[in-house]
Amino acid sequence: MREEKKKNKEGKEREEGKEREEGANKNGAKKEKPEIILRVENLSRTYIRGKIPVHALRCACLTVRKGELLAIMGPSGSGKSTLLALIGTLETASGGKAFLDGTDLTTVPEKLLPRLRREKIGFIFQHYNLIPTLTALENVELAMRFSGVPKKERVQRAKALLEELRLEDRLHHKPTELSGGEQQRVSIARALANRPALILADEPTGEVDTKTRDSIVRVFRELSEKGQTIIVVTHDPAVAKECSRVLQIVDGMISDED
Amino acid sequence: MLDLIIRNITNRKVRSALTICGIALGIFAVIVMGAMSENFNQTFERSMSVTSDKIRVFAESGVFGGGLTDDKVSDVLRVAGVKDAYGLLMTTFDEDKLGMTGKQILGMPPEKSSVALYPVDLKAGRFLNPGDSYQVVVGNNIKREYELEIGSKFEIHDKYFTVIGILEYTGSIFDNAVIIPLETAQDLYNVGDSLSYIFAVPDERVDAEMLSKRIELSVKGTSTLSPGELEVQARQSFMIFSVITISSGLLAAIIGGLCVMNTMLMSVAERTREFGILKAMGAETRDILLLTLGEASCMGLFGGVLGIIVGVGAVFVMNTWLASTRIVLFLITPRLIVIAMLFALLIGALSGLYPAYRASKMSPMEALKHA
Repeated sequence: MREEKKKNKEGKEREEGKEREEGANKNGAKKEKPEIILRVENLSRTYIRGKIPVHALRCACLTVRKGELLAIMGPSGSGKSTLLALIGTLETASGGKAFLDGTDLTTVPEKLLPRLRREKIGFIFQHYNLIPTLTALENVELAMRFSGVPKKERVQRAKALLEELRLEDRLHHKPTELSGGEQQRVSIARALANRPALILADEPTGEVDTKTRDSIVRVFRELSEKGQTIIVVTHDPAVAKECSRVLQIVDGMISDED
Repeated sequence: MLDLIIRNITNRKVRSALTICGIALGIFAVIVMGAMSENFNQTFERSMSVTSDKIRVFAESGVFGGGLTDDKVSDVLRVAGVKDAYGLLMTTFDEDKLGMTGKQILGMPPEKSSVALYPVDLKAGRFLNPGDSYQVVVGNNIKREYELEIGSKFEIHDKYFTVIGILEYTGSIFDNAVIIPLETAQDLYNVGDSLSYIFAVPDERVDAEMLSKRIELSVKGTSTLSPGELEVQARQSFMIFSVITISSGLLAAIIGGLCVMNTMLMSVAERTREFGILKAMGAETRDILLLTLGEASCMGLFGGVLGIIVGVGAVFVMNTWLASTRIVLFLITPRLIVIAMLFALLIGALSGLYPAYRASKMSPMEALKHA
């Protein structure tokens, strides 16, 4: 436990050191670093299974800048998906704080969480999680419905996104009529639909072949270059290699390898 | 949102169709039973409007107990506050059918026929006049069934009567009435000067309830039924009938509602992951509620429309078929249609409430983990 705290303290100091450096850079003539979009401070999640507490995530600290393509790696059950779920407000933290675009996610009332998810976060899942009864276009459009985007604009934007992801000839196909790679690209388009500040991708290449994996990673890189912040949880070193930064998570503890 | 709701319904064609059929069957029962009740209601209301101003005087032993004779009419007339009184003999027209067709012989003094039948009007001919003996005034259903015209011969109890008047259709018991002079009726059925009951017409400004009691006290061996008492009694009988008919319809509709609830619960369980996705995309609790409740309500709506169409069709067919026997058993009213439709929607929405609540309360993460 003491070791754990020490590690976190070190992690925090490292982050603070970086920020100080960034501050210096800002004042100096060096190239200005992009703004911080996500800051996670001592975030933890403990489940109670029976009567035994299970620490899925322990005092995680990390900072993500705008346009960053961050990979989080770690073995199964290490807490990667829990971290993503906490940042995505799909689960409630047991402790710590997480600031997304200046908003403390851990203090947002439950009532306002859907709005926050709509406006600031896009999800990409391993199993694509497209609505099977809707076409590719409708799946992308659906994300904007809840934000109250008018129909005409929804369709236009969904078409543009799908075209950008090279799915212009697949607009009216249902998920069962699409390949794994195509489905994942639809889910990327859906995640982008509301122009979120942050995209959270949980094992996005877990169910596709290497060729499709490479094409998905390429899409992520393109998006990142355009300024989209993406956090990718992955097992795959080949995916991590393409990311701008990699963090390792082991037994619920995160360490920056950057 | 409506397009999503419709799509969810049409994507599970067989299951949705079966659920809609369940609701439709319930609403069909509501329509058929309700139409029967509405018909009785209308007959009751119209019959009441004809006899509502009169006190009925019976023999103490009841209508079939005998003991009420012509001389009691003058006793009743002598009671202060009675403006007019006349006796009636009532018997079933088709004794071989035990009166099941509702056709009745009404023997009444000829000079009172127009007053006794007021406000029922004549469609053709005239009412009975003093001096008439083998003349008859018939109700509209009798006219249609026996294809009678003014001047037609009509056989009653082995005697031929001349049709001198045909009543307008009223939707009341008078549509099945065969009205003949009282003395002729007494002779025909060989009952001497017996009467079934006496109608006593109260004077204006005389309280009918009070007068009713006064007649009972003044004329020995009689009991009375004031307009108020008659209405209460008739309403009670009608209420019991309505409760039986409507509740059997409601029972069927509730079973239909359980069908919807079962379908919706299955649908919510199957789509747990889908609800998780929607929540992850930022769907509000009310969006999920609306989606699920809307689906259940739509199935209620479709089931209601189908049930009403089939029910109205069945009532039409049955009424057409029964027309040959001159029995009108069902009546579709706008009120019935509206009630059936609202009931279908209510059943759908209520049945969808619990599944919708379950869907909306799911934790997004738990829902996403669902296989």
